[in-house]
Amino acid sequence: MDVGGTLSDAEVVARVLGGDREAFGLVIRRYEPGLLRYATRILGSSDAAADAVAEGLVRAYRHLASCRDPGRLRTWLYRIVANRCKSQLARRPTADVSLDDVPPIVDPGDTEAALERAEQLALVERALMTLPPDKREAFVLKHVEGMSYEEMSAATGERIPTLKMRVHRAREALLRALKEYL
Amino acid sequence: MNPIDPKIHQALDGEIPRAALSAELRRDADLLERAAALLAAAPQEGSVAARVMAALERPLPPRRSRVVRWLLTPHAVVLRMRPVWSVALAAGVLLLAILPAPSGAPALGDEEGVAQFVARFPGARSVAVVGSFNDWRPGSIALEDPDHDGVWRGAVVLPAGAHEYMFVVDGERWVADPLAGRYVEDDFGRENSLLIVRPVAE
Repeated sequence: MDVGGTLSDAEVVARVLGGDREAFGLVIRRYEPGLLRYATRILGSSDAAADAVAEGLVRAYRHLASCRDPGRLRTWLYRIVANRCKSQLARRPTADVSLDDVPPIVDPGDTEAALERAEQLALVERALMTLPPDKREAFVLKHVEGMSYEEMSAATGERIPTLKMRVHRAREALLRALKEYL
Repeated sequence: MNPIDPKIHQALDGEIPRAALSAELRRDADLLERAAALLAAAPQEGSVAARVMAALERPLPPRRSRVVRWLLTPHAVVLRMRPVWSVALAAGVLLLAILPAPSGAPALGDEEGVAQFVARFPGARSVAVVGSFNDWRPGSIALEDPDHDGVWRGAVVLPAGAHEYMFVVDGERWVADPLAGRYVEDDFGRENSLLIVRPVAE
């Protein structure tokens, strides 16, 4: 999807810093879907994810002048939202959440295939939420958001070997859980 | 936790071709990728765009309110202290002294202090201070080097409290104050210098 025509991230950032507030809408449209997807997987709640992403985007706008490499805006935004998510998790009485009680999103008009897909998604979400937050984050950034280990490092501040280890551990735990569920 | 065959990791990391996996290992790799694809394609609920743009249109609260709120809000920060020699050097050379208001200067409020910045950047064309006190806008607080000895200085009245800051050299290079002594990792992964301004009335 082409969001914002041919403008690069650096050009959009320059516009915003030049006083064009509306240009920040391009940033939102470009990265909101991934940020919401990421935050939902980390927090296990779409409402909490919306709060984290909204807070993160407002902070990003306020501090946009300090984004030293606008060409890497994407990982910079993930880092801000990741910190919002961590703050939320730290404030929770329990560190982990469960999607056990969350039914799959089903529309009455769905086809049988769509129903089966929704059921499978619910099982995968449940398996994902059994992982510790750091491993869940690593798996989501790598396999759901499609980041390279270098991008993951920029987005999390963690070293690449640490992230690789977390991804490996996440795959192992997830595979075991998926084989149990599916 | 049972480790899975390392070849699965290698294939998923693109280090070996998928064809190098046996049929059984390929099924496991496929299962993980199918799970990731389901998560990636899951429908999103709503958008925060309108909420964010509305928040951006609201003016920021006064700086003092933000400082007070920052001080009262719990923050997950990592505070790293430099070795003792560095702190001593910082104390000997540098800034952050609370100065009495010079005669003729505007009177300070009870909850304000003067922070003095001194930094050595030989050959720099310009040095500015950016921080939480000026919304990290380069250029708004410029330091001066009138005798061209590479030592840049400036003083600014700030609200009492903790302030994060950095130097911007030649308009583009962001540098933490090497002599600050206190550093805070911010939300964006940078290590900012930290200064504490005490109120002049203290």
